[in-house]
Amino acid sequence: MSLPAPCPTHDLIVVGAGPAGMAAAECAAGLGLSVALVDEQPRPGGQIYRATGASPLADASILGPDYQRGAALVEALSRHRIECFYNATVWQVTRDREIGLLVQGQTRLLQGRAIILATGAMERPVPIPGWTLPGVMTAGAGQILLKSAGLMPSASVVIAGSGPLLFLIAWQYVQAGVTIAAVVETTPHGNYLRALRHLGRALKANEYLRKGVALIAGLKRAGIPILRNARHLRAEAGADGRVARLHFRTGNRDRSIECGLLLLHQGVVPNTQITRALDCSHDWDALQRCWRPRVNEWGATDVPGLWVAGDGAGIAGARAAEHSGRLAALDAARLLDRIQPSERDEKAAPDKAALAHHGAVRPFLDTLYASAPDILVPSDDTILCRCEEVTAGDIRHFVALGCQGPNQAKIFGRSGMGPCQGRLCGLTVAEVIADARGVPMEEVGYYRIRPPIKPITLGQLADLDIPQEAAE
Amino acid sequence: MPQQTTRDVVIVGGGLIGAAVGFGLQRRGLSTVILDEGDVAFRAARGNFGLVWIQSKGSGSPDYVAWTRRAVDAWPDFAAELADLTGIDVGYRRPGGFHLCLSQAEVEQRGQMAQRVSRHQREDGKTVMVDAAAVRERVAGLGEAVVGASYNPLDGDCSSLALFRALHEGYARLGGTYRPATAARSIRTAGGAYRIETDAGAFAAPKVVFASGLGLNHFAAQVGLPPLVRAQKGQIIVTERMRPFLDLPISQIRQTPDGTVLIGDTKEEVGFDTASTMGGMIELAQRAVRALPRLADTRIIRSWGALRVLTADGLPLYEEAAGWPGVFFLTSHSGVTLAPAHAIAIAQWVAAGEMPDELQAFSATRVQAEKVA
Repeated sequence: MSLPAPCPTHDLIVVGAGPAGMAAAECAAGLGLSVALVDEQPRPGGQIYRATGASPLADASILGPDYQRGAALVEALSRHRIECFYNATVWQVTRDREIGLLVQGQTRLLQGRAIILATGAMERPVPIPGWTLPGVMTAGAGQILLKSAGLMPSASVVIAGSGPLLFLIAWQYVQAGVTIAAVVETTPHGNYLRALRHLGRALKANEYLRKGVALIAGLKRAGIPILRNARHLRAEAGADGRVARLHFRTGNRDRSIECGLLLLHQGVVPNTQITRALDCSHDWDALQRCWRPRVNEWGATDVPGLWVAGDGAGIAGARAAEHSGRLAALDAARLLDRIQPSERDEKAAPDKAALAHHGAVRPFLDTLYASAPDILVPSDDTILCRCEEVTAGDIRHFVALGCQGPNQAKIFGRSGMGPCQGRLCGLTVAEVIADARGVPMEEVGYYRIRPPIKPITLGQLADLDIPQEAAE
Repeated sequence: MPQQTTRDVVIVGGGLIGAAVGFGLQRRGLSTVILDEGDVAFRAARGNFGLVWIQSKGSGSPDYVAWTRRAVDAWPDFAAELADLTGIDVGYRRPGGFHLCLSQAEVEQRGQMAQRVSRHQREDGKTVMVDAAAVRERVAGLGEAVVGASYNPLDGDCSSLALFRALHEGYARLGGTYRPATAARSIRTAGGAYRIETDAGAFAAPKVVFASGLGLNHFAAQVGLPPLVRAQKGQIIVTERMRPFLDLPISQIRQTPDGTVLIGDTKEEVGFDTASTMGGMIELAQRAVRALPRLADTRIIRSWGALRVLTADGLPLYEEAAGWPGVFFLTSHSGVTLAPAHAIAIAQWVAAGEMPDELQAFSATRVQAEKVA
């Protein structure tokens, strides 16, 4: 049994110990703030640097030099007195900056004078017919198994989709000795042309481009077929009910490839569950096809005392995340009167310059890897909401009955009402509604997200005392 | 003259009441349009628990007891009709239902209520108090904290979301026009009919039904009626799916046919804030675990606050505004239980224009006397 937090327990609570969260916590602690750092994983690193310093892979160099960068951040973190809560699930964040935690089955409330959300990105769900079959998972989920459990698939693997991570994951598997039957790329040919006009600016951060070119070259040297401009992906089950092959179309040709494991990927999008639950304003990013919380140059949202740093505020990558984490920490320290605005601005200058550098490559990458229309707006027979098995056709039917947005669709067909709280269908359901109504995404909106943000049991919730102000 | 859409009846509000009345009017051959708001609005229908309930309805009002009973009697046929027309099974069942009391004080308070209500209830549907042992015969794994309960054999439940969808599907199939994102703003008389101005054009009809929940007060003021309703917050917790363990509804806990468990019963007097409060959630969880300890290890999927629409005395309100013949105001916080009554008797009244005697007790004249707080 833990007590409710009657007053702030920390100056700053940082949610998420990826690059943004680690940098923010380190910076704030260095300025004398009392800091709590909270993460679901057993150790810092986030998704990108997962299990940094403790990789179960015999040879962590499989994961590449970027992965080692995480070790430096973890090391910097350890030099400060920061109260770290690992293996901790955040199930509630309130506008009063209370944070409900679940640590080893125990509920706990913290309260910060300031909160920095560094909850990063999540993979864009890839609803194709058959994506719910056993043996189909997102490429990121496959990568997590490789990083934290050292699990390597024995069946032949097909990696399908689009985005820079597609080639990185394929390369990591090849390095680990896994057979990759093919990389099936869905990037439409037209994207290359459209991306060209952003190439000049992207060359300012050409380390990204060099890395991508090297990955693709490496895959080709390893003899991995890369099939481009694939459309109409469909996973088919074998006799055992597991995925057996991937069907798709390139040019005018229907093709199929046998596979025992199908990894799907369409890039990553900000994880906005907490900012949505807090009713922060969000803006539609038409290029990245995702919502991002509305923040200023420091990452401050329109909820007082709440910042978002890293990919959670818009996809910019791990290196940019570190800098945005520090900017949020500096601004939080300024709000709490630990530093003057002038000092904040002075300390922020290098981070702002670095952010601009890392941002230079985004328009090129985002244009090149924009998802194909048939993936954003799937065919009628495709399941969108896996929890409640609602198809794109169902959603179109609800629109015909007068549904204006995802919240009405939820009432009509339960989409988004399952355990994932709409994480896996929110964007697609809204895209299908916007397409069917012929209106922009801004007019359609997003699910209202309800606590708990992550499931907790009734018993765990009942263990808490009722906070005073709420009991009145 | 700007473009205007003409119907026999314009219905303002597409919640459970508006959809039920619209369904009933279309079934009687009238041509109607339902005007509704957009994707995000204050919608009581979304916070519904799904009880088809008579045991606590009508304390101090014999008319309400009779009205609720009539609706419950009509439920089986109504559910069958919806299923025939739309193919949607709203999951109605009538196994009897409990309201659990977790202390002697709660038993006494509930007992007084049961006494007042049952005085007016018919012999085959009286609310009675039972002890914990009687509850235990019907509910496995009951907690030690349960001291007693009230019970009515005619209580039941349904899927309120399925009902909501079935009413809308049925309404559309019967030729009704549903207009979302068409929030009504004002009513005025125009050439022997009424004209409703909305965000998306004007609508004209000789009759208008306001079933706009918390929006009723806005239109009441335009026709000289006092404020009719106020908001009361209720919170609901939904759990993950569990194996079926509860085959009858409890007013605070109900397991839906798909296995999820709904938990509710807080009554918080607040303004227009639908956020879930931490305190409200904790209290619900504590009571649920005391009543059914097996729920302790069940994961919560989500919780939400929705606003109940209440009149000052808690009774439904059905009014044809004085001086505005053909302009109806309808509200009730029992949109599920009373759905058949709204689709049948209320639709008949709106169509025929003569208020049946059984509805006299629910007119707004009682509000004139009391004034809503």
